Formats: sequence, C-alpha cells, structure tokens
Amino acid sequence: MSHQSGTFPAPCGQKACQVLKDRNICIQVLVMIQHLQRRVDEHLKQLPTTRQRLHLAKQKQAQSTHEQEALLDHLIRQMVNFLKSRATGGLEQQVSLLSLECRGNVRSAQRAQSSRQPGQLVLQWSDIEPAFVSHDLSNRGSEICVLYHSSFQDYNAYQGDKYQEDKNTLGFINLGTSENKLCIDLITERLGQSDMNCIEDVLLQYPDWRGQPFLREEVARFLTYYCKAPAQLDPENVVVLNGCCSVFSALAMVLCDPGEAFLVPTPFYGGFAFSSHLYAKVELLPVHLESKITEANTHPFQLTVDKLEHTLLQARFMDKKVRGLVLTNPQNPLGDVYSRESLKEYLEFAKRNDLHVIIDEIYMLSVFDESITFHSVLSMERLPDPNRTHVIWGTSKDFGISGFRFGALYTHSKEVASAVGSFGYLHSISGITQHKLCQLLRDREWIDTIYLPTNHFRLQKAHAYITNTLQSLRIPFLCRGSGLYIWINLKKYLNPCTFEEERLLHRRFLDNKLMLSCGKAYMCKEPGWFRLVFADRPLRLKLAILRFCEVLEEQKQDWKEKQLADAMKE
Amino acid sequence: MSTLAQTESGTPTTCAGPASTQDLGSSYGDCLQGECSRKPDQKLPELYGVGDPVMFSSNSSYLSSRGRMIKWFWDSAEEGYRTYHMDEYDEDKNPSGIINLGTSENKLCFDLLSRRLTQPDMQWVEPSLLQYPDWRGHLFLREEVAKFLSFYCKSPAPLKPENVVVLNGCASLFSALATVLCEAGEAFLIPTPYYGAITQHVHLYGNVRLAYVYLDSKVTGTDTRPFQLTVEKLEMALQEATSKGVKVKGLILINPQNPLGDVYAPGELQEYLVFAKRYWLHVVVDEVYMLSVFEKAVGYRSVLSLERLPDPQRTHVMWGASKDFGMSGLRFGTLYTENPDVATAVASLCRYHGLSGLVQYQMAQLLRDRDWINQVYLPENLARLKAAHTYVSEELRALGVPFLSGGAGFFIWVDLRKYLPEATFEEELLLWRRFLDKKVLLSFGKAFECKEPGWFRLVFSDKAHRLRLGMQRVRQVLEEKAQVAEDPPPCQTQEPSDQRR
Repeated sequence: MSHQSGTFPAPCGQKACQVLKDRNICIQVLVMIQHLQRRVDEHLKQLPTTRQRLHLAKQKQAQSTHEQEALLDHLIRQMVNFLKSRATGGLEQQVSLLSLECRGNVRSAQRAQSSRQPGQLVLQWSDIEPAFVSHDLSNRGSEICVLYHSSFQDYNAYQGDKYQEDKNTLGFINLGTSENKLCIDLITERLGQSDMNCIEDVLLQYPDWRGQPFLREEVARFLTYYCKAPAQLDPENVVVLNGCCSVFSALAMVLCDPGEAFLVPTPFYGGFAFSSHLYAKVELLPVHLESKITEANTHPFQLTVDKLEHTLLQARFMDKKVRGLVLTNPQNPLGDVYSRESLKEYLEFAKRNDLHVIIDEIYMLSVFDESITFHSVLSMERLPDPNRTHVIWGTSKDFGISGFRFGALYTHSKEVASAVGSFGYLHSISGITQHKLCQLLRDREWIDTIYLPTNHFRLQKAHAYITNTLQSLRIPFLCRGSGLYIWINLKKYLNPCTFEEERLLHRRFLDNKLMLSCGKAYMCKEPGWFRLVFADRPLRLKLAILRFCEVLEEQKQDWKEKQLADAMKE
Repeated sequence: MSTLAQTESGTPTTCAGPASTQDLGSSYGDCLQGECSRKPDQKLPELYGVGDPVMFSSNSSYLSSRGRMIKWFWDSAEEGYRTYHMDEYDEDKNPSGIINLGTSENKLCFDLLSRRLTQPDMQWVEPSLLQYPDWRGHLFLREEVAKFLSFYCKSPAPLKPENVVVLNGCASLFSALATVLCEAGEAFLIPTPYYGAITQHVHLYGNVRLAYVYLDSKVTGTDTRPFQLTVEKLEMALQEATSKGVKVKGLILINPQNPLGDVYAPGELQEYLVFAKRYWLHVVVDEVYMLSVFEKAVGYRSVLSLERLPDPQRTHVMWGASKDFGMSGLRFGTLYTENPDVATAVASLCRYHGLSGLVQYQMAQLLRDRDWINQVYLPENLARLKAAHTYVSEELRALGVPFLSGGAGFFIWVDLRKYLPEATFEEELLLWRRFLDKKVLLSFGKAFECKEPGWFRLVFSDKAHRLRLGMQRVRQVLEEKAQVAEDPPPCQTQEPSDQRR
C-alpha cells in the first residue's frame, strides 16, 4: 500500500488522495466480506452433504468390519481344516508305513506315493478349497459351492456345449458321464404310449413320502423277479426317492454320525464320495485295490477280506469309527461282478464287525455278456445280517433314464426304512413320474422281449467296437461284460506316471472336446487309469475315438519333442 | 467375532449348540405331511437334547444317533397323517372315513388341472428330458418361471432366468437355503403361528433352528389386528436369541401368511426388510400362496414387486405349484434370488433335489399357457375358493365361533379357546383328538407354535360334499363340548373379532 501511495501521481491534493485511499480500502474490505460470506454460505451448504458422507463412511466401515469378520472367520476355519488334514495326513503316513513294514514289503519306490493314500479323500477336500469367499453364504455353503465346482465344472461345460450332429458338431462328446444313450428310441416310444399319461387326483396330492404304495408294490415285484429273490419282497421295505444319490445321502445320514466312516473298495464310483460328504459329513475310507496280479490277487483290483480287515484295522488305529461297507455290484468303474462266494465273504466280514453293508446294484440289468451271471444280494437264501444289508437300485442306468430321478432302497430293517422315509419330502418324486415308472416296471413283456434283449445287443456291439479299437491301439483295458464303461490304462502316455500328468492328459482330452473320467476321481491308487463310457450311438463313438487318438498322438509327439529337447541340452 | 462353524472333521453336527435355548424351537413342526398334526405323546423334549445318544438309544441298534432323531420325525407322524391314510374318507367305499381338513391342499380344481395336463402338448418326450439335466433346472423351465414371476409378481423389471433355481418342492428349498446360509446350530427368526413343517425342513439336513417371534391374538399398543408382526417384536426376539448365544442368520416370512390367511401390507413388508438389512439378516420370503388371494379387496404385493429392495442380495423368494396350482404331488418349487452365490450354492445341492425332466417340461407348458391360467384356471379357482370360504365362515358364525381369515390361502384360523376347560395345550390336544375320533382331521395351534392354546387351522379348499360332512362333524364335537361345559370358560382373553373376512 505504501508503495502504491508512493507511486501515486502527485498532482492531486492530499485530501483527495486520502479519500481515494479510504474508498479503496472500503471496497477491498467489502470484497473480502463478500468473499467470506460466499465461503460461509458454501460451507453451510456443504455441511449436510458432509454429514451424509461421514454417515456413509461410518456405515461402510461397519460393513467392511462385518465383511472382514466373515473373511477372518472363513480363513481361520480353512487354517484349522488345513492343520487338521495335515495332522491326520502325517498320522496316516506313519500308520501305513508301519503296516507296509509289517508285511515286509520293500517296494520303497511306491511307498512314498502310497503312504498318503489313506488320507486322500481328506486331502482332496481341503486341496480344493481355494479362496471362494462369499459373505452371504455360510462356511458350509461356500464349501458346497467349491466342491460342486471342482467336481462338476467339466460336466457343466458339457451341458452348455453338447455335441449335436446337425447343430453343434464341435461340441463336447461325453464319454465321461455314465449314461446309456443307446435305447432312447425304445424308451421314448414306450413313454409315448397312452397308458403313461394318466392324471389322477392322487398323483397331484401329497404322497406317502416313502413313495406311492402302487409304485412300492411294483418295485418289490420287479426286484423279486429280476434279483431272483427266494421269497416275495415286501413293499413295506421299499423306499423310493429321487435318485440313488439321494438314497445314499439319506442312508449315510441315518446310519452314521458326522465324522464316522464307510469302507469302500477303490477304484469306486466317485459320486458317493460327494454324496456322503455333502450333507452327511461321512467319510469314505478307501480299501485300495491293485491292478497287479499276485498270489493274493488272482485278478486285477481284486477285493479280498484280508484287505477289508487291513483297512478296518488301520481305521481303528486312526480312531475312526467305521459304520459300514459300500459295495457296487456290478462294479463301477471296473465293469466286473462279484461271485456269489466272495459276496458272501464280504457280508460275513461285515457281520463279524457289526458293519452295515450298502450294496448299489444300479447296473444289475446292464450285464450284457451272457456268459456272466450276476448275483444280486437279494437272491441269497439267507443273508448273514439282513437288518444291516441295504440294497440300492434305480432306473438311471438300466433303463437309461437318468433324467427321471428315481432311486429305490430295499432294506429288511423297518427302522432304517422309516428313518430314510423321513427324507421323503426332501427327495420326493412327482406323482406323475411315479405313475410312469410304475407302468414301465410293470410291463414285463416289453422289458423281457423288447427292451432288455435290444439293450444288451446294442451294449455288446458298442463294447466290441471300443474294445477292438483299444486293442488295435495297444491300450490295455479290463475286458468285462457289464456296465456302460471300460476301465482303460493310459499309463504309458504319462511321463512321469503321476496324478499330475493324469490330470494334464485329462485336460488335454477336454481341450479336444472329449470327456472321459480319470482314475483319481475314483480314488484309484495308481495314476493313469481312465473310465471310458461306451454306451453311446455309433456316430458319436466314432468321432470320440477320433478325438481320443488325436490326443494320444499329440501326447506322444510332445513326449518325443521333450526328449529331443532334453537330449539337445545335454 | 462370530463363532466358528463345526466342520466335517468330527464334531457331531447334530448336537444343537448351547444348551440355554429351551424355548427356541423346543417343538418340532407337525408331521411329515407337514400340515396335519403329530402324535401328541411323542413330543421331543427340548431341542438341545436332540442328537444326544442317550435320548434315543433305548430301542435301536441299527441307526446312528442322528438317525434315531430323524426316525423320531417319522414316528411322530403316526396318529394324525397316518391314521388318516389308513381310514381316508371315500364317498362310495368309506363314507365313515376321516375327512381331512388339516392338510393344506387345494382339492377344488382337479378337474381343470387333469384336463389341462392330459392335453397332447404335455406328452412330449425327448432325449434331453431323459438324461442328466442342468441341475439348476432345464433352461426352458427357468426362462418360463422368470417370465411367469415377472408377470404375476408385477416386478418393476423383467426377472432373469439365471436367478431361478428349480427344485422338487419348497421343502427342499427350505432345506437347501438353511444349509447354505447358516452353519449348524444357527437360526432363522420366524413369526409364530407359522407353518410348522419348516422346523423339520431346516433341521433335517441343515441342523438349523428357528427363533420364534411370538405374536398375540390380543390387539394392544399400536397393533391394528390380532397376531400383528412389528419391527419392535422382531428386535426383541433377535435380542433374546442373541443373548442366549444363538446366532441368527435370517428371517423367514410367509406371505400370504400360513395359518393366518393374511397378507402383509407393502409398507410393513418394507419395514421388515429394512430391519433385516440393519442386522445383515437374510430374508426368505415364502410366497407359495401368492395366487390364492381370493378376496379382491386384499391388496397383496409380492416382495418382487417392490421398487427397490433394501437388501436385494439377501432377499430370497420362493414359490411353487403345490398351493397355487393345487399340485402338491407334482413336487415343483423354485427359488428367485439376485445373489449369484446363493443361487449357485443351492444349485450345488440340486443333484439331491432334482425334478424329472418330463415334469419340468409339463410345468413349463403350464406356466406358459397364460390364456388358460388367466381365463380358465385362476378365475375359476378363486371363485371356488371364495365359495368354499364363504360356506365355512357362515357355518362358524352360526356356531358362534370366532375366527380369523384374511382372504388368502386355503384355511381359516379358528379360535376354539372357549371350548377348552383349561387354557392348556393338553386340553387343545384332547379337543383335537375328539375331532379325530369324530373322523375329522384338523391342525392344532401348537403345531404352528401358537403361544395361546385353543387355536385350530381349518382347511376349506375341499369339495362341497366333503366340506359339508366335515363341518357337520366339527359342529357335532363343538356342540357336545358346549353342553358338557355349560358355564363359560374362565380367564379367557379378549377374543379377536372375525374382522377382515
């Protein structure tokens, strides 16, 4: 200011100069006041929004605290799981090392691998628990999601991209899921007949939750006939639910408490691992079978009472409470059937140890080789422990209608039947479907003269086609006469022969739009085995084999290149 | 920090948590049928004892301890449902058999349904329907469900098929939701009286409990009607559960309500949803009676019709064909949720709750046939419901029996308190048994966890001749009772008027 006044032109008088100066200051002050006022106004205006923002921030903080809590919760649980699995894994390692030494077995190369096998299932579940965290699901809900994704990811991909002759020739061919697609024409025709389309009041009302009496009666008659039961089976011992998985799940619920276990000879149908774990939290303890033929092993993957005893002992070592034994007969994935004698031995073993036996006979009518005789457990003159013997059957495989969702339990134990019946309303079948099933099972003439002969003939043909191809490819496999699948050995395409390489090969098949199931999914002890379903139409089978060969060729080529590269390095 | 969940690694999940919650879920829902009543003397003592091997071990050698508990559910159904099934009324064959006014089924429109279901379009069979499906439900059905719900729930924007999961009935859906939303031992809030079978649905696999929000018949404070749900009562129940160490994960609402036959006003619904949001609670809204609102004046609003849901990620709606289409035997239930995690988790369980492909096809055909639904089925169904309702309410009025009925559902909530010599649940059971002796099956209030003894649910959606006979038998019992106890029962609270007919 002083500087200004100093430079102010002198000609004006002192007074005028002063007035000008004052006015100037006044204006400046006014401007300042105006400015301040504006700022205050703005601030006042902003105040509520700031307050709002603060409130929001607070809310957000609360939310994130909540979320973090959930996250921590989950992480801690995972950690606990992990530690537990490690701890048990270690224990099992000791146990099986011990047992191996007891047998004086010195195959040290295999030891490291096989030693962890007993805990395989436990490890599997915890292995596949990556960071799937949802704040809206319970921990078990998240776990169910993860488990489902890991088990059915490929299946879901297939559902979205199925091979279709006319529409989607590049889609997946599914030789992984065990479905019989050979007789859809017969079934469709039969289901289209007029007796199927009855709508009665009773079909639309709440049913008897164990199944409509008319259907249970028909199932009892059907099983009496086809299982060759010595006496008429009782409809009161039948419970029908929407699928065999549901039956198995309900059985696991009522026979075991959480954490208890069933023995299962492996390789075996992996769906049961899923079913026993999902709701019931029942463990499956594998009775590992070997492909190698030895003195005790007269054929590959033979189940013996010795092996059962051994695993049971191991389980006791681990303080596991074993409640039962699960058998699949005809076997999945081996395609084998148990002889009457061995069946009896297993049942007696179970009786000796107070074990339930769950026998899944879902492939009982899919024995297509006439030289093979299948013995249903229901055909036995006298069951060693009838109240602890529970038979499962369904139409998914033998009639190729997995979409029907039908599974039946037959048990002599009224107690077990009614306990499983409690699950009826969670696993119920539509009345309309029950009527159709009843009509189907009742039509003995159609089944015996049309359906079964045609089905067996077509299965035989498809089986022969695939086995011939495998032979020409020099791929070892088990040639059996039942089921919808062949258990093949692709060990020689794995280098090194590990489950990781098995997984990669499996992935390679998938990349080439071919679904197969790998041995690991069946808890097979040896890497390299695959299950190939052959019950598909010739056209699809041919294409599948083409893709199959392509992949194996690629795999071989890769191997050669790798060897070459290794050699160059050296 | 919430409590750590029990995992698969050995802790028995049937052991139902802390022992301090005697009144939480101390009684199981009614029988397997879900709707009628169970054998009275076989009452499960307290929930916290469930799964305790000592309790059930006496006479069983083949089942696990949880298996014995599960079997209890089955046995407990004996007297009601199974007695009925042994001796079902049949006009020609068994005219003195039991008339079932206990099970909530709509038996008024079988003629329309069977005509529709036997039309040629329903008989379609194709390979994909016979093979393993997409476990969420066939896409064609999910698309149809989304369209159907968009239209009938009046949703502001079209609903999406990917938010739909199809299962074999709403019981399965309750079970699956309980499993994926709660850990074992955790709880849902539920206002009582409520459809008691839910107890079993959420317990059997999920081992989830219910924390009751008890409602009174007496109109007090700011209430405008009997059994009114308020946020205050929700808050109290939540607090009580929490103080007992029970973790509440959600709230179950049934709208239209069962057994009250009432609907929630949109404003109320909004309040409950805001309450739930405040506490990060899921809300499961069971709208299985949504098309069975037979009184035109009743302004029913689906939760899916709300302009903006307070917490869409935690709001899950269920609907099925059992009630609105009178086909409880078809086993069709569906979930609508905007939460992809919840949809996926429920779908993961669908392997165990799947519906036959052929039935899925039929269901899609039915839902698609808007002409038949709008012009034939719905008007006829609602007219028949209304006529049956009018008949039964006239009868009750003539008997001087107070009742509640809100113009929705298949039932009337009947106040028989004045017929109990003493206001106890034992007397309620005795009266219920008296009805059964006279060959008419009703559901008693205890099965709905009603706080006050003496309420009964009477289902009116049955054919005229059965209904007439049923009401005759009801009248007989009540007149008999009235004669025995000439003097009016003491200490009865104010009876709600039969308003809102």
